[in-house]
Amino acid sequence: MKKIVIIFKKELKDILRDRRTIIFMVAIPLLVFPVLISIASGMIMSKAKEAQEKTLQIGLLTYGSASGFRQMLLDREDVALQEDLDQEQGISHVKQGDLDALIVFDKEFDRNVGARSQGKVKLYMKVTEEGEIERKRVLDFLREFEKTLLARRFQDMDLDESIIKTIDIEEQNLATAKERLAEAVGGFLPYLFIIFCFTGSMYPAIDLAAGEKERGTLETLLTSPVDRFQILMGKFGVVVLTGVFSALVAMLGLYVGIRRMTEIPPELLNTIMSILEVKSILILLSLLLPLSIFFAGILLSLSIYARSYKEAQSIISPLMFVVIIPAFIGLLPGFELTMSTAFIPILNVSLATKAIIAETITLPLLLTVYVSLIAFAIVSIYFCSKIYGRESAIFR
Amino acid sequence: MIAVKDVWKSFKLTRQQRKEKGNLTRDGKVDAVAGISFTCQPGRIFTLIGPNGAGKTTTLRMIATLLKPDSGTVEVSGFDTVKHPLKVKNRLGFLTGTTKLYERLTAEELVRYYAELQGMDPSSFRKRKDELFTLLDMHGFASWRISKLSSGMRQKVSIARTIVHDPEVVVFDEPTVGLDVITAKNIIELIRKCKDEGKTVIFSTHIMGEVSLLSDDMALIHRGKLLYDGTYKDFLNRMKAESLEEEFIRLIQEVRP
Repeated sequence: MKKIVIIFKKELKDILRDRRTIIFMVAIPLLVFPVLISIASGMIMSKAKEAQEKTLQIGLLTYGSASGFRQMLLDREDVALQEDLDQEQGISHVKQGDLDALIVFDKEFDRNVGARSQGKVKLYMKVTEEGEIERKRVLDFLREFEKTLLARRFQDMDLDESIIKTIDIEEQNLATAKERLAEAVGGFLPYLFIIFCFTGSMYPAIDLAAGEKERGTLETLLTSPVDRFQILMGKFGVVVLTGVFSALVAMLGLYVGIRRMTEIPPELLNTIMSILEVKSILILLSLLLPLSIFFAGILLSLSIYARSYKEAQSIISPLMFVVIIPAFIGLLPGFELTMSTAFIPILNVSLATKAIIAETITLPLLLTVYVSLIAFAIVSIYFCSKIYGRESAIFR
Repeated sequence: MIAVKDVWKSFKLTRQQRKEKGNLTRDGKVDAVAGISFTCQPGRIFTLIGPNGAGKTTTLRMIATLLKPDSGTVEVSGFDTVKHPLKVKNRLGFLTGTTKLYERLTAEELVRYYAELQGMDPSSFRKRKDELFTLLDMHGFASWRISKLSSGMRQKVSIARTIVHDPEVVVFDEPTVGLDVITAKNIIELIRKCKDEGKTVIFSTHIMGEVSLLSDDMALIHRGKLLYDGTYKDFLNRMKAESLEEEFIRLIQEVRP
């Protein structure tokens, strides 16, 4: 054990002096969330504000009808009306982006509404994801106008507006805030820390195995009175630690990023903060540890087999997809932690995290996840030690 | 003492190597070492000479426990390298010309690391470190990272690393390859010092000048087989050619198919 600790301490010191490892293990996980969140929220907010406050250029053709609507738009300061055009010109302006919308009232609009039937209105807009706010604003104008027409109609008929409502639905969502959040973003959190756990341990694994082989220091280490399993365990410890540390740093980055968001509703913020409390973090960590051991076993095995740092990188990089796929499946709605999915590594961590966030996890399922992860971790250590014991792999 | 008894070691060839070697291989394997035996005595320098690919490094790697023989035995200080590798490693220092060091550690950290792996306690290490660092004139760069050291300084660190635990047996695999004259001289002096201290020394080389400078005993290896095993003096007495180089070439050419 003493020899393992000596190797562990030396490898840790060595790896912490490597700039590349520090970048992948600390800098990227720590900065990626605050930077992404602030850029994304900043952009979304400024676009939304711009769309909300901009003066809408609206083409209006009423053919003498809907004078109330026309007046309503004329009274607004955030609308610029254009009426001296025909329908074809209006459509062309919308297509070119000169107009945000073209509203065309049917020539018979007033007559139809007066006869208590429907008045037709055509709305031309170029709606993409970005133009959704403008569309909503224009529709709000029309709905407001519809309300005034409807109120007048009820008044003429001497009826109460509530007569058209036959059912009064009182909806009560019994899902807790945590459950709703888990469904919405619950898969996202494990997806991120699984990836960071993998990338955080990837470079140390390559450096400590293939890197050592390439640099020619392995031979002298192997002539020291330490057996290969002890050397492997020392290196293993460092790879596991860097993986877990990287994932935790990513969570810290996420925490910092969320705290810095000023626009987030307090209720949602409280829910997120309650997820990031010590108890939840400890449970997540208990899942992360065997997962990280599993990753370390695979990464070190491949890295030991590789002749050089470069070869190890080219072998290991495609493995990222193998990790991403089950982590991504956890993001999809409808996938839940069951006795079957609890046995699939990576996916089980993803689904278990979702259930932990929602506080719906059951002890048997959690234990199954642990058993599966520990079993895979042991297999990966065994496999790795076999490779490390092979002359043909060491002196390849 | 080192005792090598009827040792065989073969390696599987790659597809490309199999194509090149043709009929010389059996079952896609090649014998790197084919039934060699020799003994190295304490207080004497044993030189292993041979052309490239003769089996020198494979032999030395088996002595250093890095490789296991397919058959036969290798004993270091009375311990079998396969059955008691840790006991062997405790008594052995291994230095090659291509030995590299951990670039991100300082000279002192690196030597301490190997001393700790050898099981040295902190006070013994301090004493030994002072002794070695004075001997090798290393105090000036003890706290420098290896990446900042010149090749001569690095070689000194390698030497300190190799003998920090005062091993009974020292294995040098082409230790001067690629080194400048001054650094190579340091290595030659180290080998002599090891002999003077009564250690068992084995070193491989294909530089004939080093053979004549250092050898007490020697073995000539070619295609995994020993062509000569005896004292250096006897080798000189039996020589048919004019010089050591010519005799070396003559013996090698005699076995060419």
